[in-house]
This record gives sequence, C-alpha cells and structure tokens, in this order.
Amino acid sequence: MSVWSQGSPVVALGLEKLGDWADELLAGLAMTLYLYFVALTIGFLLGVGLALGRQYGGPVLSRIVTGYIEVVRGTPLLAQIFLIYVFPYSLNAWLTPDGPPFFMDIRWAIEIGGIRVLSHPILSSILALGLNSAAYQAEYIRGAIASIGEGQMLAARALGLSQMEGIRHVILPQAFRRMIPSWSNEASYLPKYTVVATFITVEDFFGMAKRAIAATFLSLETWLIVAAVYLVLITVISRVLERVYQKTKIPGL
Amino acid sequence: MNKMEPVLRVRDVWKSYGDLEVLKGISFDVMESEVKVVFGPSGSGKSTLLRCINYLDPPDRGDVFLRGVRLGEKDTDINEMRARIGMVFQHFNLFAHLRAIDNVAIGPEKVLGLSKEDARQRAMAALEHVKMADWADHYPAQLSGGQQQRVGIARALAMEPDVILFDEPTSALDPELIGEVLQVMLDLAKEGTTMVVVTHEMGFARAVANEMIFIDGGVVVERGTPEHFFRGADSERVRQFLHKLEELYGKEREELRDVDGE
Repeated sequence: MSVWSQGSPVVALGLEKLGDWADELLAGLAMTLYLYFVALTIGFLLGVGLALGRQYGGPVLSRIVTGYIEVVRGTPLLAQIFLIYVFPYSLNAWLTPDGPPFFMDIRWAIEIGGIRVLSHPILSSILALGLNSAAYQAEYIRGAIASIGEGQMLAARALGLSQMEGIRHVILPQAFRRMIPSWSNEASYLPKYTVVATFITVEDFFGMAKRAIAATFLSLETWLIVAAVYLVLITVISRVLERVYQKTKIPGL
Repeated sequence: MNKMEPVLRVRDVWKSYGDLEVLKGISFDVMESEVKVVFGPSGSGKSTLLRCINYLDPPDRGDVFLRGVRLGEKDTDINEMRARIGMVFQHFNLFAHLRAIDNVAIGPEKVLGLSKEDARQRAMAALEHVKMADWADHYPAQLSGGQQQRVGIARALAMEPDVILFDEPTSALDPELIGEVLQVMLDLAKEGTTMVVVTHEMGFARAVANEMIFIDGGVVVERGTPEHFFRGADSERVRQFLHKLEELYGKEREELRDVDGE
C-alpha cells in the first residue's frame, strides 16, 4: 500500500495534497543546502582572514576588523540581507532617475542544466549570509588562536620560520582542531538563518513551504514537516562535526 | 673558518620593558665549541638575555654578532640568522599537533628547504642523538617532560646551528627526569657543540662550562671558570647564591658528579 493510496494515514490527514508539492519542496531544500554550504565556506575563509587580522594585524587593521565584527553582530541579519538586496535598486534609482537603461542589471541569472544557481537574489543571500557568518566564525577562530600558548609561536620563530609560516604550520593547524566544538554552534545556526533568503524572493525550503501552505492550507502539517527537516539536517551536521573533532584530536591531549 | 673569531659576540646589550630595566649592558663572547653557563637569581634577566641574542626580543641598545654578522642589520634576514641559532626552552614548546619526528623535521624542511625525505632522515638522526628514536611517532602529550625536552634538543640539533641557547632546560622537570636531559647536554658539550646555557645545575656547569657568568640586576656581577666559582667567588652576593643552590640542589649535584665521572 503506497502512502498516497486511499486509507493510508497520509491521506487520512489530507497530506496527499502536499504530495503535489514534493518536487518544489525538494528543490527548495536543495537551495537551502546550497546557500548553507556556500555561505559557510565564504564565512570560514573570510572568518580566518578576519581572525588573523584581529590577532596579528597591528593596531589599525585589528581595529577595523573589530569594528566590522561589532557592526555585523550588532545588527539584524534581515536588515543586512535587505541592505545588500536593495543596494543595486537604490543605485539605479539614484544614478539613472529617469528609468531604464539602468546603471546595474538586476535581472541576470546563471542557470546550469535548467537550475538557477546564481541570480541577484541568490547572490545577495549568499553575500549576506557569508559576510554575517564570517563575523561570528572569526570570533570562534580567534578564540581558538588566542588559546594556543605563546611558546608555540616563540618556538616557530626561534627555528627561523617567519610569522606567516608560523601561523600556517603551527598556529592554524592547532586552532582549527580546537575551534570545532564552539564553531559547530555557527555551523548549526546557519541552516536556520538561511530562511531570510525567502524574504528577498529566493525559493528556498522555507519559501517553498510557505507557497505550499498558500495552495493547500495545510499550515500546521507543513510547518511540522519543515521543523522536522531542519532538525534532521542540524542533527546530522553536529554528528559529523563531533566525529571530525574526535578524528582530528591530538593524541595524548 | 677563522677559529679565533667568536661564534657569538654579545656587545653591551640593554633591554627594558616600560620603566623596568632588565638588561643593563651585558657583553660576552662565545668561541667555537665553548660552553658558557649563565646563572643568577630569578628575575635577573637571564631569559631576556637569551631572547635578545636571537632577536626574539630585540635589544634596545647594543649588538649581537653571529660569526661577525650583526643581527638586526637591515640586509641580514633575521629568520636566516635564527635558523643558525638553536634554542631550547624551559617549557619545551614542542609543536603540540606534530609527532616527535615532525617536530624535528619541520625546521630542516620549511626553513632550510630540505626535501621531505632528507628532512625526515636528518630528524631521525637527531632523535637518535638524544636517544629518542624509539619515540619518533609519539605526540608531545604522550611523552614525559624529560622526553619532550630531549625532542626539543633534537629539534635544535637538526638545524645544525652554529650555537644552541638553552633557557633553563631542566627547571620545569621533575627531579627524576632531570638526569636524562643533563646527560644529553653533557654529551653534546663533549662533542664540541657551542652552547650558552642558562641553568642552576652547578654539577653540569662544573663538568663542562668553559666560563660561568653570574648575572644579577641586569649586569654581569662576576665571571670566571667553574674552579674560580667553586673555590670561592669574589663577590659576597655570588657566594650567598651558590650557598643557597647547594642547600637546595646539593644532592643532585653529587649525583651529577657521578654521571660525569663515568
């Protein structure tokens, strides 16, 4: 008996109507995962740069970095994503007040195999999530760097390694291992934060669920499914990170 | 190479942190194969002196020459100079994420530019030298303090430096682990390694030091051969200090003399 056939619990609850939306919801989930991994990666790479700038950058650079981190952490993510999203619109309105041709094209899109992988809303989401995540990740990375004893860098310099080489071969390999437990906070917050993309028209999982509800009126059921999917996703992420942490642990420590 | 030229010349080195003057004009030469022992009360500036020598903490005034080349000169690469000055730390400072062998190989590979294979070979030889070859695949946290310090010494040796600086290499060790480290250092000294050793191990000093330098309050109070100091130092301050050491470390000194007498 298929879950969609007459008499099954799915049908009894009226969920078969949601079945029509399965493809859209899956596409939305794929978009959510895509936003997540790209933003997490951008956030990580930029976060390492920010953390190093704050830790080793000297008075000027470290203050700029600290300022960036404070501003990003002190303002709502939703405001940040709207800011990035409307920026080209505002620029167009300001630079070409009489209408088209616009200074910046906003209707571009890149598709691979019929799937839209990059467009103005998607890029805005990736940028907003990546730049936001970078600020949080930078603090986790910097905390890990600061927890490494001074003697490690001292020994590296005494051997004749430059500061950059010391950071690369001695400090970062240890910092990356140490930061995993606290960093996994950010890794498991970020999938939930990707829902802000919905507000700038990206068709992510959350957005698709809203559309499915508008069509089927199965709001409680849909939100329960949405919650369950995020829960599974985040559970998997924390399990994987816990395993990575155990596997990369330095023996004896 | 000119045997009469000092390996290391320390000329009138001054260093202060804020208002605190730590070094107030220290000078000495270290010749090829010479062992200098620097000692004195804590806070007298011994560790700072070693850090000034390899410019980890550049001196405010004064000069350090390695085989006639001045450190801190604009056209001398400080990293290249440091590669020729080994350093052994009180708290070992082994790289926590690397196995013993990789701790020793990283310098030859990343600083001297040896191939991975050659660096490993050289590291293995250095570990054998300090009798730690059997522990090559262990991480620092899996080793005792004495074993860690021997790896620390191997790390310095593998660079084949002109001189090795020892910053109180045994003072963080449990008493029963001091002997194995001192034995390695005695062997190195007898093989002709040029060494500057900050230590309170007077047995070691007596056995191999060519000259002992007593530092207090950032200045050299007295210098001379071990015989000079142990027959009776000129300064009352030094005599008091040696007497205190004897009270504290008397027993270990006897043990060391046995090691030396083998």
